[in-house]
Amino acid sequence: MTDVLEYLVAALSGGGIYALLTIGLALLFSVMGLMNFAYGELIMTGGFAMYLLRDAPWPLMIVGVLVAVVAVALLTERLAFRPLRGASPLTLLIAAFAVSIMLQNAARMTVGPRAKGVRPWLEETISIGGVGVQLLDLVTIAVALALIGGLVLLLRRTALGVQLRAAAEDFEMASLLGVKANRVIASAFAITGVLGAVAALMLILKQGSVSVTVGSVPLLIAFVGAVVGGMGSLVGAALGGFVLGAVTAVLDAALPGELAPFRDAFVFGLVIVMLATRPQGLVPAPEARV
Amino acid sequence: MAAQRLREGVWPPVALAVAIVVVAALAGATGDVVIRRVAILALINLVLVVGLWTFSGVTGVVSFGHVSFAAIGAYACAYLTIPVAMKRGLFPEMPGFLDFLLTVHASFPVAVVLSGLAAAVFALVVAPAFVRLDGVQAGIATLALLAVVYNVLLNWEEVTRGSSTMIGVPADLRLGTAAVWAVAAVAIAWLFARSRVGLRARAAREDGAAARSLGLRVVADRTVAWCLSAFVVGCGGALYAHFITTFNPDQFYLGLTFVLLAMLVLGGIGSLTGAVVGVAVYSLLAELLRRLQGGSWTGVELPAGTAEVVLAALLLVMLIKRPRGLTGGREVPWPARRGPRAAAAAPPAPRPGAAEGGGAAA
Repeated sequence: MTDVLEYLVAALSGGGIYALLTIGLALLFSVMGLMNFAYGELIMTGGFAMYLLRDAPWPLMIVGVLVAVVAVALLTERLAFRPLRGASPLTLLIAAFAVSIMLQNAARMTVGPRAKGVRPWLEETISIGGVGVQLLDLVTIAVALALIGGLVLLLRRTALGVQLRAAAEDFEMASLLGVKANRVIASAFAITGVLGAVAALMLILKQGSVSVTVGSVPLLIAFVGAVVGGMGSLVGAALGGFVLGAVTAVLDAALPGELAPFRDAFVFGLVIVMLATRPQGLVPAPEARV
Repeated sequence: MAAQRLREGVWPPVALAVAIVVVAALAGATGDVVIRRVAILALINLVLVVGLWTFSGVTGVVSFGHVSFAAIGAYACAYLTIPVAMKRGLFPEMPGFLDFLLTVHASFPVAVVLSGLAAAVFALVVAPAFVRLDGVQAGIATLALLAVVYNVLLNWEEVTRGSSTMIGVPADLRLGTAAVWAVAAVAIAWLFARSRVGLRARAAREDGAAARSLGLRVVADRTVAWCLSAFVVGCGGALYAHFITTFNPDQFYLGLTFVLLAMLVLGGIGSLTGAVVGVAVYSLLAELLRRLQGGSWTGVELPAGTAEVVLAALLLVMLIKRPRGLTGGREVPWPARRGPRAAAAAPPAPRPGAAEGGGAAA
């Protein structure tokens, strides 16, 4: 029973973080056909902001992380992806790869290649029904739920949300009907920035340190989650990310020592099988776009 | 007619081969050890990029996973060429069913070919999962292949030594040998692209639906391209192993993948000439930037990573300004009397991935 509760908390918090990441990926993919390979570097940016602001009070640091990540997200949109609007998804994927390498090496040039520690926070364990649960995991679950709820409200209830959904469904038609392309895409990038910043905070606090390549593994897992869930569908992506994050977290806790290192091989093997057998994902997009 | 066949069918690979040999000879003639090493590395990259082009250029499906074939080639070659006396010590816990790896040995050229074959066999086994996919889905699936192979190489420590380096591979790759392999890769790629299967695969690249409606078996043709290109890339990986001699799985991951893709896109994925030009330009730039970063010219040492930032930015600018690459999808033109007709005959090359319905997704 105690084991079950422990796994449940691990699954919910791991799944929550990855749901945020895959929603970010799927949003950009459905609006402009971009599989954002540079998404991992948003996590890296957030991590380095945490490192640089390690002596600042917590609220200031959180704001700093949000500002830094959103700024980088918007900057990549303006400099790299806006000029490529209308290019094929594949060209965009290669471009995003280039952006990812640029950001990684820019960080290597400025902050340095070695892993940096961040200030620990929310490390206390509290007892629920006799089971020790780390406060960070609970906060992660709460924040992920709140953000996803907020995003649903934004998409359903605001003018921007309607425009975003319209653009995701049919970008050309939406622009013909007066949706401002630049504004709606920049907003999508800003939203992915916020989601990425929060995911970065939670992931880096969990890991305790940040390095140049800190975003690679989360990015690949989020990719897989988005593919498994269905790349063009936000609900599908959220579901896929959640399932994958939860499975990864549970495998982490439950796999025997010898098999644990091969976890990622199984996770990435899953994406190949999925793409080969059901390329549209668990929840297909309303309109096939690739 | 014969003259035209000569110009379009024979001249481009011959010109490329001559260029490779001349550059290699010049690099050898300088007697400078650094220049020689840069040239060898460029020639190895040429084998890898031309191998990648054999699939991605011909079929139009960009692969992010070919570096895994290079990794398999490199590891296979290591088992074949590390002296037998050393191997027992290097792999004390080799599982029983792989024990033969500790006793086999082959001469360097044979080992390279066998390594390429190992990569090709692996490619054939996994092919059904990849050859049906197009565009961004193929990109992600091949990326996942890369991640799986990397993960297994990194963690199967009894067999691969994991993240501790593979050592003991002889350092016997000479400039001349590398040049021979580069020319061979160009020849294989060209012959394949002009072959029946290659032509069919190129037809499917231009218009998949039309090719299928004509009864072309796109999947079968792509499987051939996939395995052949894995063979060439596997050979390239084996050469790379003999060049760096100590390596671990990190050498065969996203970093090398980026370099190969950048070279291919820079030169232009639409033509074999593009692949070769891309390797030449990228290698030259990378070496210049390395020297600039080291500060031997300016006296100012730039922080590590500068060269990579510049090269990645360059790739990005290229994708924005000239998505078809430096060559624009053309092969080496016939040097003399290039009339307007010859220019008009140059085939239109798509943007990378345009065949996958770029318009529909815009």
